[in-house]
Amino acid sequence: MSYLIQREFVRYECTCGSLKPISVLHFCRHCLKLRCGYCVCHEVDSHYCSNCMEHLPSAEAKIKKNRCGSCFDCPNCFHTLSVRATTRSVEDGSKTPSKHYYLACFFCRWTTRDVGIPDQTTATGSWPNKENPYAETLISLLEHYKVIAMRERSQKDKKTYSTPRRGYSSFTEKFGLSSMIARKRAGLPSLPLGGKEVNLSNLPPITPSVAEEEVEPLPESYFAEEPDLTKITSLVQRHANPALQATTINTLHPQHRHFYIKRSLRCRQCEHNVSKPEYNPGSIKFKIQLAAYYHMPEVRIMTFEPLQAGKPSDIILKLINPTQHLTSVQFTQLPTTEEIEVAEEREKNMKESLDRDLISIPIPPRCVVITGKADLPSSAVVLPPRDDAAEYDDTVDTHSFQDDPNVVVWRKGNKAAVKFSITPFSDIKPGTEVLFGFCLDYGYVNTMPILEPRQPQRTEMQVKVYLSPGKTCGIDPK
Amino acid sequence: MSIYEGLSADKLAVVLDLGARYTKFGFIGEFAPRCIIPSEIKCPSSGKIRYIYSYTDENDLYSLLVEFVHMLFFKHVLVTPKDRHVVIVESLLCPTLFRDTLAKVLYRHFEVASILFVPSHLVALCTLGVKTALVIDVGYEEVQIIPVYEGVPILKAWQAQPLAAKAIEARLRNNFINAYNNMKNAAGDCGDTDTFAEDVSELPDSVIEDIKVRGCFVTTMERSEMISKSEPVKEPPPLKYRIKGDKLILIPGICRETAFEVLFERDNDTNSIQDLVLKSILECGIDTRKQLAENLFLVGGTVMAPGFKSRFMREVKALLHSPEYCDRLPLNTVKLHNPPAKDNYTCWLGGAIFGATDMLQMRSLSREKYLSLNTVPDWSNLAHNELVISKLPT
Repeated sequence: MSYLIQREFVRYECTCGSLKPISVLHFCRHCLKLRCGYCVCHEVDSHYCSNCMEHLPSAEAKIKKNRCGSCFDCPNCFHTLSVRATTRSVEDGSKTPSKHYYLACFFCRWTTRDVGIPDQTTATGSWPNKENPYAETLISLLEHYKVIAMRERSQKDKKTYSTPRRGYSSFTEKFGLSSMIARKRAGLPSLPLGGKEVNLSNLPPITPSVAEEEVEPLPESYFAEEPDLTKITSLVQRHANPALQATTINTLHPQHRHFYIKRSLRCRQCEHNVSKPEYNPGSIKFKIQLAAYYHMPEVRIMTFEPLQAGKPSDIILKLINPTQHLTSVQFTQLPTTEEIEVAEEREKNMKESLDRDLISIPIPPRCVVITGKADLPSSAVVLPPRDDAAEYDDTVDTHSFQDDPNVVVWRKGNKAAVKFSITPFSDIKPGTEVLFGFCLDYGYVNTMPILEPRQPQRTEMQVKVYLSPGKTCGIDPK
Repeated sequence: MSIYEGLSADKLAVVLDLGARYTKFGFIGEFAPRCIIPSEIKCPSSGKIRYIYSYTDENDLYSLLVEFVHMLFFKHVLVTPKDRHVVIVESLLCPTLFRDTLAKVLYRHFEVASILFVPSHLVALCTLGVKTALVIDVGYEEVQIIPVYEGVPILKAWQAQPLAAKAIEARLRNNFINAYNNMKNAAGDCGDTDTFAEDVSELPDSVIEDIKVRGCFVTTMERSEMISKSEPVKEPPPLKYRIKGDKLILIPGICRETAFEVLFERDNDTNSIQDLVLKSILECGIDTRKQLAENLFLVGGTVMAPGFKSRFMREVKALLHSPEYCDRLPLNTVKLHNPPAKDNYTCWLGGAIFGATDMLQMRSLSREKYLSLNTVPDWSNLAHNELVISKLPT
């Protein structure tokens, strides 16, 4: 929880260069790279209604225009509408009273009766829909332009087909059953056999719009009456229903509730999923969730001495190994700008030599201003594997690591606290944010079963970690 | 080709009209956009709401667009952008930087299959079924006029001035603050302190926009002339407007009436909206002028203001008979088209109709082509001055 609400004290550098806290990072187990929301490919996984939790397959959701079949939104305040029932006795008294339903908003008290929508005898499914008043004109226009475009296309195709062709396989492709079905599904008229434009010659007739000289003048009421703002809709209310755009509240019409989606994330390089939610909208679990905090050592700031420009102060970091395998962690300094340039150049050359169509997303330049330098411990720190049972074991840890007591100040289970000193640059003003970083080298054991040698493979990984513990204090307290 | 059709049948293409203030987004072949939302996004690093058009440089615009397009796809149309065809409705006068960056975002970040750029003024005519019209787009930043004759935009005759919603809102704010200060001074010490407790000079843009939409109207030409000559006219009643739920401010009738005047005022530069229309017609060939004048077409959200169209027609007619133009432009009639849609998404609708035809496959720029060209062909760039994209040198 603290990850979600707290400031980002510790940030990791993703492969794409953005700095993110570990809680939002993913770790692709197939290409062994860090990924974040910016550099993965997002995909729509499943549609669901957030009110009734009904979920639909994508094809069906598409037909329903991404709207729930049973739930409605209030056109006035966008809260969900509720169905209310009333009993109404029939006047002649011979029958039992029948039930009638209307929709009401429990938030703003808007009801379908306000706008004159008649009460329904069934609770769902029979609510009237408002059609686009110009639908007929527009359909005829659409048909017209489709034929015009097809004519142009067939003319173009004729030119390209003038070269002699061998065999008839091209014709089966063009006029085969599959293409006919495809055309039908696309809503296009089927191409006549034999290539003659029988239906292309008769253009569906349209009635072109006729310009008018007279335009309806402004009603006189605008000059005499004060507009009643409670009766005029706001822009948000109008834009909620683009086809209708009611200007007065008595013409508002309830709309079916818009769906929400679950997303799955895919690594752009190897096309494996890094995150895939369960299909059921009620579940918050994941089928695949390759979050970085399951796979790489986590760094937390435990405590630090007050920071002063130009003076070293001690900082204690807690390192946690979340994996089932022993790992060893080593700190190194961040590469200098020259080193980065050299590395980039090398990478570029490598890409060119590979000559693959590497689809890489453009990375906007990000600038990080380092305002401190860390005096990093030189020895490696061994982190034992995570053991859930050990969490509840209160007996004193009996570990046999040969730790330097000046570096490792505390140890428990898979956690270790590491002490070193940081020095904010001497030229920074009091009150500036101190930001320093280091490279964290750690061993990672890849347990993917699909890998060729069936044994877990040990690889050395490196990640850049940036810490911003706080601001420098003013004057030396002494 | 058959594979191509299969793709488009499976994955319905989307149509994007990214306006300065509002964005229209939906599917081809549909008659209304799925959403009309403000073109703004919350900046992930600073948490501020920023307009897309408030960008400082290309990198800034790129990150704004990535966030915004992501929201459009995953919150509003709920489809995966990858390998999808996109139709972008944009003005011919769209800045190259914006156009290129939007293409880069879609092709590289979202990996769309192809993009079809359509000029908004031209495709708007698809909604009418006519081939010739003078299209006047009154949006947020500026009014843009481009005549289209027999399906060809006459680019030479384009006219554009920053006379649109932004100018109207600035005028309304200015008039209101002035009127308010006058009221405050006149009231002196005995004024109702409650009414003046709120500082009106810093009303947010959204409030000014709301006052404009719900409280303002475009007055008639006669009244406008009387007001400009400071002749006495019966002022419309003031509007009581609540801000923050409990404060009540009075918006004088004269402010409500004169906010839209900024579009029609003629100064020495003669850059009012009616001047621009006639100037644009004058730029066109002499044999096209009559037809263009009889096919005026207003698009854009601002023209939906009550009384706008009638005032516009009156102003154009009056100017046509003025000594300035009656010799050069001997026309008698001007006529206005009525689109079969709401004015604020007419251009989008044109793009949705145009994109639903085979033109999508014939004219769009595929991702492979873009990656080899590394730029989007445009009329303003003579390097790609070729009608058919497939013939471009790579």
